[in-house]
Amino acid sequence: MFQVISAIVLRRLLLAIPTLLLLSLVVFVVLRMLPVDPLAMLLPASATPADAAALRAQLGFDKPVPQQFLIWLWQALNGNLGLSINFRQPVAPLMLSALPATLELTLAGLLLALLISVPGGVLAYVLYQRRRETAADLAVALMQSIPSFLWSLLLILAFGVLWPVLPFSGRVGEGVVLPGITGFAVVDLLLVGRFDAWLTALSHLLLPALALALGFAPLVIRVLRSSLIDAATEPYVEAARLRGLSEARIVWRHMLKNAALPTITMIGVQFGFLFGGALLVEMIFGFPGVGNLMVQAVKGNDLPLIQGIALIFCVLMLAITVIVDVLYAVLNPRLRTL
Amino acid sequence: MTATAMTSSPAPTAAPSFALTRSALRQLGRQPRVWVGGGILLAVLLLAVLAPWVAPHDPLEQDLLHMLTPPMWAPGGDAAFPLGTDGLGRCVLSRAIYGARVALTVAIVAALGSMLLGSTLAMLGGYFGGVVDRGIGYVVDLWMSFPPVVLSLILLVGLGTGVDKVILAVVLVDWTRFCRVIRADVLVTRRRDYVLAAQLLGFGHLRTMLREVLPAVVPLMITLFSIEMGIAIVVEATLSFIGLSVPAQVTTWGQMLADGRSDMQSAAWVMLVPVACIIVTVLGCNLFGDGIRVALDPRLRLRSE
Repeated sequence: MFQVISAIVLRRLLLAIPTLLLLSLVVFVVLRMLPVDPLAMLLPASATPADAAALRAQLGFDKPVPQQFLIWLWQALNGNLGLSINFRQPVAPLMLSALPATLELTLAGLLLALLISVPGGVLAYVLYQRRRETAADLAVALMQSIPSFLWSLLLILAFGVLWPVLPFSGRVGEGVVLPGITGFAVVDLLLVGRFDAWLTALSHLLLPALALALGFAPLVIRVLRSSLIDAATEPYVEAARLRGLSEARIVWRHMLKNAALPTITMIGVQFGFLFGGALLVEMIFGFPGVGNLMVQAVKGNDLPLIQGIALIFCVLMLAITVIVDVLYAVLNPRLRTL
Repeated sequence: MTATAMTSSPAPTAAPSFALTRSALRQLGRQPRVWVGGGILLAVLLLAVLAPWVAPHDPLEQDLLHMLTPPMWAPGGDAAFPLGTDGLGRCVLSRAIYGARVALTVAIVAALGSMLLGSTLAMLGGYFGGVVDRGIGYVVDLWMSFPPVVLSLILLVGLGTGVDKVILAVVLVDWTRFCRVIRADVLVTRRRDYVLAAQLLGFGHLRTMLREVLPAVVPLMITLFSIEMGIAIVVEATLSFIGLSVPAQVTTWGQMLADGRSDMQSAAWVMLVPVACIIVTVLGCNLFGDGIRVALDPRLRLRSE
């Protein structure tokens, strides 16, 4: 078992190296096509052309693009992703401090999405068995037409404005300082035993995570439904029926386990969708994550920061594929003997 | 997003020629989804084209005496502004109608562009196989290791803002959806007897691809096209919501969302109208695409009947 997993991880890591290099290059070249001068905002109005040239030289923007890329790459390998133009801070720590918030939001969103879509997928399957699928199809199609960022606005309107029960801005209640052990607000505040602050963190997380989940759930529902329909014709289902098991038990205890595999694959492939959704949700809810940082960087043409965040997202996506591969090997008994 | 859900379902096995077109059309006619989706899209298209005649006001005209007027049926509403006005006294209904123009332009052109790019590469890769296929497959994998939103943001930074840049960004991000799904279909079709027969008869590669393989993947292309239109509408709305898409004097649903968000406390309708516009139009695209897929895929049809 362990050998299989380490073989998967090793192979994935080796494949990841050229991918990361090429993607960084693509991003670098695209960003250097920029039509406006990213440094213009940094200079005071009284700056002379000589000042501008000096600043360009200081930040390394005067060299040819291939050379700039090699310099960036060499520094990146040493853990230095350059200096953010707008924040005047090193990019790497800036991003790393924002990363836990994004992961917290994404994982909470994924969890809520599963809580919605597993019963939802089973319901869609049951309705299909009873030939009542038109209503279910329409409901899923409607859900699929509402992206996370619209859900964010609707949820804010519903639970923040019209019936103001939940907070919709920031990550924790006012005056709460995060202890900064793991960076995950929901974990840290529990670790230090501050339950009132923990509740504020949880309530701040609820609406953004729900917006993310509602945007992602229809995708999972669709895959689960079609996997369950496929599983229904398998001999083991017939065998379970002959043994006298109830339909509910067959679905929940037997078919769902088998439907889990294609669902996990789909979630892995679509994780980019989840990250992209999180980016907009973070922006709308003022959630201090990487996505929010990205929007600010894009608005301010902050090239080093954009390049760094692009790298972070690539690494995250690659990590997801590794996790999915490992999960697949663990869950699928047919792959265990390799 | 829906594209992936489709890869797991069986590829449509359409007839090699258009000989079956009439029965295909009859199948389409039996699909309520095609009617509802197509009806929505047609209505939005008509509103967009006829905007100057349909809209009661100029979308940019500010009436400072009528700021945040509620919709006409609400107390304090004004029949001159059926869906009320926004914070600058602009007619929400007129802005929604004009917003459909940008949304549909982006949807149609971007979906067409990504379909052409993605399908061409899929056709080349699936038909020739070998190095060509592996090369294209690698680029697709590379593209897919970025969250699409992040990639389009990066592209917009490099390209600059504007409707044409948004369209280009969508094409450069979303061609992979077409490429992956259609390539799989081309791979299956290429091995069919009638394609082999055409090759044995000495047809050139181009003729075989366009006359024998292409017709078999057209239904799938139409489905993906329709769904891609919905995706492009959401991407455009997102980007103009962030403020990266179009200059302020162009009316878009995304801008209306951003305006409405700041007046959410006092005037929910300013935000709810563009939200409803986006949801209904995207729903139309998804229903139309799904309907075509079910109608033209015999295996799915058996299931749903």
